Amino acid sequence: MLRASSEALNSEVDLEQLEAGADVANGELLVRYAESAVRQDSDLGRVRAALEEQVGPGGVIEAAATIAAFEGLNRIADATGIQLDSGLADESADFRAALGLDAYAGAVSTQSTGIPARAAGVMEIFR
Amino acid sequence: MTLTEPETYIELGAPLTDAHDSVWQRLGQCGTWWTGEQRVAAMAEVRQALRCALCNERLEALSPMMVAGEHDSVSELAPEAVDLIHRLTTDPGRLSKEWALLVIESIGEEAYVELSTLVCVQYVVDSFARSLGLPLRELPEPQFGEPDKVRPEGVGDVGAWVSQTIEKSLANVSRAGSLVPETEALWREIVQAHYSRGPQFAELVWDRALSRPQVELLASTVSALNECFY
Repeated sequence: MLRASSEALNSEVDLEQLEAGADVANGELLVRYAESAVRQDSDLGRVRAALEEQVGPGGVIEAAATIAAFEGLNRIADATGIQLDSGLADESADFRAALGLDAYAGAVSTQSTGIPARAAGVMEIFR
Repeated sequence: MTLTEPETYIELGAPLTDAHDSVWQRLGQCGTWWTGEQRVAAMAEVRQALRCALCNERLEALSPMMVAGEHDSVSELAPEAVDLIHRLTTDPGRLSKEWALLVIESIGEEAYVELSTLVCVQYVVDSFARSLGLPLRELPEPQFGEPDKVRPEGVGDVGAWVSQTIEKSLANVSRAGSLVPETEALWREIVQAHYSRGPQFAELVWDRALSRPQVELLASTVSALNECFY
């Protein structure tokens, strides 16, 4: 979704540079905020303030809402052992191995590794 | 440097706060497979898990299964239920099918799904508060009632560890809790409010305080930190 939504804005992301922000606007700060929030680091307040300077309080709320949503989404996926949707397996086939995602414990739940192919839209990814 | 006081986030994030208010109280209601009292006890365990010595020790271990022991529990829930809650809270990326099937054998498939879904809903609400420096909500008052223990129709094996709705209309993750529709409804409500927001989900360009690539970068980062394959 990161790659597809960036392309829709005529920009490219560097998926292999996720920690550096992947060339997304304010990406490095967003990543630092997510890391700090997930790990409950002691610098969370300071990172949040720095992020707010760049994206405003509304942006911070949106960021916190997203982080929280994916803390939950990751857990429901891991607890129930769901498989990748076939469209998602195809969409991610070209970068999963390079990013080491296939080594995650949850990878064994998915039987099909997918055939590298790009989906035409969001709903096609989750077919 | 400007910094909004955490309390102000509550006012600015009113739509989310409203969704939290609505969902939170219903977490304390009697479920389909667990009583209200048991559900609130499970919520107390979610918070206790973050202080549990065994969970901390397991997090440091090469494999969580290498460390035996008892959780620092605060409820009278069955040990298998407590293990599910604590592990799902603290170390979700290293759950295994073998472990899940043992828990399911002990507490039942539907009860496993209801408890997992409840943990996830609570984790979203608690995580949001922690990320903004807000105090955690008080646990809801448990409501009376007897679980009706009715398994829905139209569920079966779709390749996950647990039964789910056979008909696939959306992403697999959106039907993860479909074995227990009433609790799944709370889950859908919270995810809609936080992330997908109805038909907007299908659009690649969002008109929000953050662009969609910014939102998806956050999503990717959290998933990588949790080592979530999905």
